Amino acid sequence: MSSTTEQSTQRRDASAHDRRQSGAVWPLVAKREIMVKLRDKAFIGGTLFSLAIIVGVFGFQAWNAERDRTYDIAVTSESTQMGQTVREAAPTIDDAVTVELVQVSDDAAARAALDEGEADAWLHPGDAGWVLASTSQVSSQLLAVVQPTVTQSVLESNAEAAGTDVAALQQGSEVTTELLEGDEDRRGLAQAAGIVMAILFYMSAMLFGMTLASSVVEEKQSRIAEIIAASIPTRQLLIGKLVGNVALALGQLAIYVAVGLIGLSFTDLGGLLPSLSAGLLWFLVYFLVGFTCVAALFAVAGALASRTEDVQSTATPVTMLVLIMFFGSFFVGESARAVMAWIPPFSAIAMPVEVVAGEATWWEAVLALVPLIALTAVVLWAAERIYRRALLQTGGKLGYRQAWRAEV
Amino acid sequence: MSTGHTPPTAIHVEELTRRYGDLVAVDQVSFTVPGGQMTGFVGGNGAGKTTTMRMIMGVLGIHGGRVRWGDREITTTDRRGTGYMPEERGLYPKQKVREQLIYLAQLKGMSASEAKGEVTEYLERLGLAERMDDTVESLSLGNQQRVQITAALVDQPSALILDEPFSGLDPAAVDSMADLLREHTARGVPVLFSSHQLDLVDRLCDRLVILAGGQVRAEGTPDELRQGTALRYRVVGVSDVGWVRDVLPDGGGGGRVLDVDGSTAVVELAGDPGADQQVLDRLVSEASRRGGLRELAPIITPLSEIYREATA
Repeated sequence: MSSTTEQSTQRRDASAHDRRQSGAVWPLVAKREIMVKLRDKAFIGGTLFSLAIIVGVFGFQAWNAERDRTYDIAVTSESTQMGQTVREAAPTIDDAVTVELVQVSDDAAARAALDEGEADAWLHPGDAGWVLASTSQVSSQLLAVVQPTVTQSVLESNAEAAGTDVAALQQGSEVTTELLEGDEDRRGLAQAAGIVMAILFYMSAMLFGMTLASSVVEEKQSRIAEIIAASIPTRQLLIGKLVGNVALALGQLAIYVAVGLIGLSFTDLGGLLPSLSAGLLWFLVYFLVGFTCVAALFAVAGALASRTEDVQSTATPVTMLVLIMFFGSFFVGESARAVMAWIPPFSAIAMPVEVVAGEATWWEAVLALVPLIALTAVVLWAAERIYRRALLQTGGKLGYRQAWRAEV
Repeated sequence: MSTGHTPPTAIHVEELTRRYGDLVAVDQVSFTVPGGQMTGFVGGNGAGKTTTMRMIMGVLGIHGGRVRWGDREITTTDRRGTGYMPEERGLYPKQKVREQLIYLAQLKGMSASEAKGEVTEYLERLGLAERMDDTVESLSLGNQQRVQITAALVDQPSALILDEPFSGLDPAAVDSMADLLREHTARGVPVLFSSHQLDLVDRLCDRLVILAGGQVRAEGTPDELRQGTALRYRVVGVSDVGWVRDVLPDGGGGGRVLDVDGSTAVVELAGDPGADQQVLDRLVSEASRRGGLRELAPIITPLSEIYREATA
């Protein structure tokens, strides 16, 4: 911190009190905000807990995808041959699936085998085709193996009976899919990533916003704000508190995002990482600006309160705004979201979601940042005025309009 | 220790006014806080003490009048160099004592190492050496008070504005705190402190400002304030002192008898030095004729009485 060293050098060669400039002291305030939070056991615990959940989710996904499953299928004499076809075909369709056959004497014995758990399913011919029976639920993984195999096998015998072969029958029937932008996996992932981003934005803005609001009212209530206001301009105090909390929130998010991306790289979707990363970077950029805007409003909410108990009510308009931003980003239709992506402060969540979904390009993201930054600047200016006026009022809870007009 | 800020010759409060809506909380208040002196600021609840102090410190807007620092207008820099202790008690409850004192000193412009040295020294002097790394909320109220005062004293302030600095302190702590403040007045620092405890103000302060209803009712040294009040003497004889009524008969000049109770009487003199001396001489000679004199002593008017008269 060069400004402090500069100040201390200044003070050694002069004895008058005006030797020190009231330069930028906000780094001191920001540093305190961050240090206090980093030593807060609840904060550290909560962050570690969230990380554990992220790691756990990806760990489970990876484990679930990797593990081998063996299915026991009950077959009677009339389905033995089809069962053997399925058993042989299974590994070629899904290498994690192994099918074992349980030979039973008749239908009754097959049902008994299902009831007693000796078999997972019972394959038998039905009135108009084949039936894969199970007690309560047919495993989709198993069905995915059985269905095409049985279909193929029946087709082959039918074709033979008709004096032709399957290849001839299928000639020209194939429909292949082609996505001009991205593919199926990417689309699903983008949707999931969009929701996760919106949730992260919401949670982080609420957590750090409320923390900021209550730390402001704490200072106001204990009158330490007066001691500080007598030492430094309140603007510096506000800047320091905003910088500290935005840095903390952004840092926490960046860690979550990084761990999430690393986790993703261990799953089958790892190949989509590059396209997703760009969107997530935009998410962090938009969060930086969007949360600065929201944080300034939370600081105002804190300054309007006179006791910690008041914060809930003074912060209500701000929490409503964050809620609308949250829902506005993915509960509206795609065309509405494309509009929201340009309107601040909703663009703070909507635009990165659009980028991840492949709906917006990088230059659109750059452009949409302009109105968001402009709004944030206006909010900061207004917030500073209200904060400065409200912070030193001692007469109880204030309204926004009242504080705006309050005499200093 | 830092070189410190240069104290002003005095802080002059000139016709300061503050309104809250229609209520005039502070009404053209003027008084002087001379450098090197402790000025006590007394007045009942709602008299306007806190409002005045907050205006001096610039944390509350001034609706009329001004604050002068020596011979010029007070500046933000002057206020930054002033040690201020606000009305409400409480620093950051969950932060460690020394750490937050260093933080507050840094906000005033001290370097971290300078601040650390000075803060540590103060805490040791105030008997808080072992509590330096405890959180503020874990300290007793009296100790929190000491920490609060320390926050105002670090960085060798050029002036001290303290709102109720002694409330909640035991007598020993009051004494050590007063010693600390005297060190600062010895440097020429003007100290203004408010208090409800009149006896304490009487004992500690060099000057007194009495505020009531937002207006200054009296200002001066305790002696100056007493000058306006009647001169009273206690007369204690060996036997019954009913004879004092002969020396000072009702309606006679020179003074009056306020009370006679056995061998003790209280008389009030007129306040004219020559005449008063004659009365005293007569009291002495009369007493020796009537069995002897044990005591003839002036009664110092307690500050509480001056205060009651001033604010009546």
